[in-house]
Amino acid sequence: MNVSLSKNRTSTHILARDQKRAAVVMVAPLLITLIILFLLPLALVVVMSFTNWSMTTPARNFVGFRNFLFVLNDDRFWKALGNTIFYTVLKLVSDTTLALGIALLLDRKIPFRQFFRIAHFAPVVVPITASSLIWLWFYDPGIGPLNQLLKMLGLPALQWLYSEKTALLSVILFSVWKGLGYNIILFLAGLQSIPESYIEAARIDGASEKQIFFRIKLPLLSPVTSFVIMMSIINCFKVFTEVDVMTPNHGPLESTLLMVSYIYDQSFTRGKMGRGAASALILFVIIFVFTMLQRAFGRKNISYD
Amino acid sequence: MKRMVLVFAALLVLFAGLLPASAQTKLKVWYAVSGDSGEAFKAMLEKYDAMTEDVTIEYSYSGNYADTATKVSAALISNTAPDVALMAAGPLYTGARNDYFIETKINDPDFMKDDIYPGVWDYAKYNGRICAIPYGISTPVMFYNKTILEKAGISMKNPPKTWTEFYQIAKTAQAKGNISGSSDFWGFDVTDVAWLFKTMLYQNGNPIIKVNGAKVAPAFSDEKAIEVAAFWKKLTDEKIMAIGQHANAEKKFLSGNLAFLVASSTRVSRWAKDPTLQFGAIPMPYFQKPSVALGGNVLVIFGKDQKTREAAWKLVKYLASKENQTSYALKTGYLPIRKSGLTLPEAKEAISTNQMYAVAFDQLDISWSYWHFEQMGTMDQILAKIIDIIERNVQDPKTALNKAAAELQAEIDG
Amino acid sequence: MKAKLHKRYIGTSVFLIMSSAVMFFPFIWMFLSAFKTPRDVYSYPPKWIPSSFQLTNFYEVFKKIPFIRFYANSIFIAVVQTFLQISISAMGAFALTKLEFPGRKKLYTFMQSSMYVPEVVTMIPLFLLASWAGLVDTYTGLIIPGLTCAFTTILLMSFFQTIPNELIDAAKIDGCGYYRVFLKIILPNSRTAIGTASLFAFLTHWRSYMWPLIITNNVKMRTLPIGLKYLVQETASEYQVLMAASLMAIVPVLIVYMLMEKEFVQSITLTGLKT
Repeated sequence: MNVSLSKNRTSTHILARDQKRAAVVMVAPLLITLIILFLLPLALVVVMSFTNWSMTTPARNFVGFRNFLFVLNDDRFWKALGNTIFYTVLKLVSDTTLALGIALLLDRKIPFRQFFRIAHFAPVVVPITASSLIWLWFYDPGIGPLNQLLKMLGLPALQWLYSEKTALLSVILFSVWKGLGYNIILFLAGLQSIPESYIEAARIDGASEKQIFFRIKLPLLSPVTSFVIMMSIINCFKVFTEVDVMTPNHGPLESTLLMVSYIYDQSFTRGKMGRGAASALILFVIIFVFTMLQRAFGRKNISYD
Repeated sequence: MKRMVLVFAALLVLFAGLLPASAQTKLKVWYAVSGDSGEAFKAMLEKYDAMTEDVTIEYSYSGNYADTATKVSAALISNTAPDVALMAAGPLYTGARNDYFIETKINDPDFMKDDIYPGVWDYAKYNGRICAIPYGISTPVMFYNKTILEKAGISMKNPPKTWTEFYQIAKTAQAKGNISGSSDFWGFDVTDVAWLFKTMLYQNGNPIIKVNGAKVAPAFSDEKAIEVAAFWKKLTDEKIMAIGQHANAEKKFLSGNLAFLVASSTRVSRWAKDPTLQFGAIPMPYFQKPSVALGGNVLVIFGKDQKTREAAWKLVKYLASKENQTSYALKTGYLPIRKSGLTLPEAKEAISTNQMYAVAFDQLDISWSYWHFEQMGTMDQILAKIIDIIERNVQDPKTALNKAAAELQAEIDG
Repeated sequence: MKAKLHKRYIGTSVFLIMSSAVMFFPFIWMFLSAFKTPRDVYSYPPKWIPSSFQLTNFYEVFKKIPFIRFYANSIFIAVVQTFLQISISAMGAFALTKLEFPGRKKLYTFMQSSMYVPEVVTMIPLFLLASWAGLVDTYTGLIIPGLTCAFTTILLMSFFQTIPNELIDAAKIDGCGYYRVFLKIILPNSRTAIGTASLFAFLTHWRSYMWPLIITNNVKMRTLPIGLKYLVQETASEYQVLMAASLMAIVPVLIVYMLMEKEFVQSITLTGLKT
């Protein structure tokens, strides 16, 4: 994450005290919500992870690290983690490059621009119950339009959601389609905040579009890009609804079993809330590590005003 | 303007948080059924509320089975549980908490406990003891598409009895009965894999689980179970059943691309209403002896004090009466749990006008259930998973079943 | 020069037409499905055009569930939540990017890590806390736990940091306190960001299902996503009524989107002034 927390503002002692006072007031509501809605539940989750808390029976005994050991020794956990990382990498690439590419196109002054924009945002707005129904039809191996299309082009039909080789990719395609609108809007907002005058000046100087993009737009977009990357990583590790709605039983041979599906499975399907809590904490640590890595890596690309 | 909105919102929020509670024998009832079933259940609650003066009912739809289980579980911990709930796997929330209140009440003479099918009682037990009242009960039913069988020249006057006989029929239906011209045409499929598999296991003499007192152990990896799994594999190997597409099975059946479908008996009432659907039903084929596994929901009583519990029991008795339960079943596609229910005129009419009802009701005589136990949800999940593995030829039936038993044992050992 | 631009715009338009079609078709399908008859819905492969356009599905929605009540609840809750969330986030983002105070970095890390826990995990502990506080079946209980502000705060931080500090310093020299700086400098200069953040916040709150389900029992307190579930039976065979309800349910989101779109256009003129 690339928010510049460095000290590059002028301040005297008096101003510093004013700043602190203002900061406390401005930050207090945020801090309060974080404590009540995050810290307290998290504390309960930590407590739960050391017990054999069950959803159905009244079992409430302290069991030490047994849940953590079980999860770390569970093949299904590692499979879920592997699937999640695969999902994250592919979706991250699309969230950044594809979304940015389309945002650049939508930024141009072409006619019907507003219609194109809302069309790209539509998948985000359409309830997932509706969009999943139609994608499930699209993916039908027998009569779905995608396979009809492949047949027309003389290519072999695919099993899409019904083969362990293609199920996860099919889910990813659906997710990409569904989430693209979000990131397009973010990139559009970022592009809007680049002063038109910079670009005009560069054009007058004879710069090509490619140069304008790499030398002006991309660097000035870096706060938004960092944000998109960070949120993409976090949301990909947390993905659940899209996967669950396309493959309700974790897909063929559990090929679409991802981290939160695993947690939900432990906590609710199997009723082992203690174990679910433990796996949630492990996920927490994993996401923490990845975002710290991104922060360290991102520090190399500083944004300049 | 913005400030006004903020003040207004804050006031409203404060006010809402201080809503007063009322004071009368109030029964909170949650139910896990929506759509027509929800409407029918709600109607009965409203009627009871109107006819009793000392009791008011506060009812609420609590989401589907899974969401209701979550809500009930959270509510029990936080002491905000309802008094009565219509939910799946209810005994897991009463029996597991040593709450056998219902067991003490069922001997009320006006309840007529022996009028309820014995197999159905097993569906409401934990540790062998009754702790719920069976209510929205269903069995798997073998449906067929009349038009397809007609084209294939198959008559259902003498339906196949064993699975081997059925296999031949399904094969013929698929080969000769294609009415849609689509290449995606199949002979047989099933919507709920674990449910049918358990049915087949029991038919073949496999008890699925062993019970030693409070301990449960998996028993689905012996020779008989392997036989069943091998037959299942034959259906997919010979392309009579599509691999891993059970989620689409019902859609295919409705659009005329599937000859035979095993689905819940709840479909009977829905499909019977539509005259354009040419479907029929036959008794479930069997291996060694005919039987079908039960599914559905039950009524449980939570309730904090004795007075509330007694009031709740009265409500449950009302809901489970011959007239109410039978008419609820006929409206929603669940089955009548009382033998006397079948003597009621509306039941007789349903049977005589629609053959699918007759088949579904008859199956109650051969229905069975194992007692609820903590890991039964996990068991269903594991069974579905290894059937997927067997269908895709990743492992042979013996290895897959042994692996499944080991996994379930690990869960039970905790 | 103009000819080159012209050609590029044609290429862009063609591509965008194709990608818009890909993105837009489920909306069209949902729209058409809202008018279908039950028979249409059974056909598999699904039909696109309804055999007869009928409005009965829409009447059915109002008949089957207290749609208006759910709608009103959802609007009230989502609007209040969005307003509160953006207020909290904007203030926090301002402090975190423009003000010096001890523990700033720690707060940022703490806030960011609040996003690492999925809702299914915090749901039960939060419910235990909320029911202990007596918030079951109350608007407070519906509103407050939705105020997870980390996402919008970090989003606004990304935009606030592009606001030049010279503007702030100039205002301070003129004698503005930090609160006025916030209201007069930061907010007006980040309309796009705030519009975007509001849209995302609104969308999240509008669609929230699990939490409202678990914190309410009384049907009068419930929201639209729960109402939509009331219409679903075990199989989704009869989804034409569901589609009609879903269609009506997305109208507020589209309205918020339109409002946000206006901010995009406005900010072009504002950024021109910045330099």
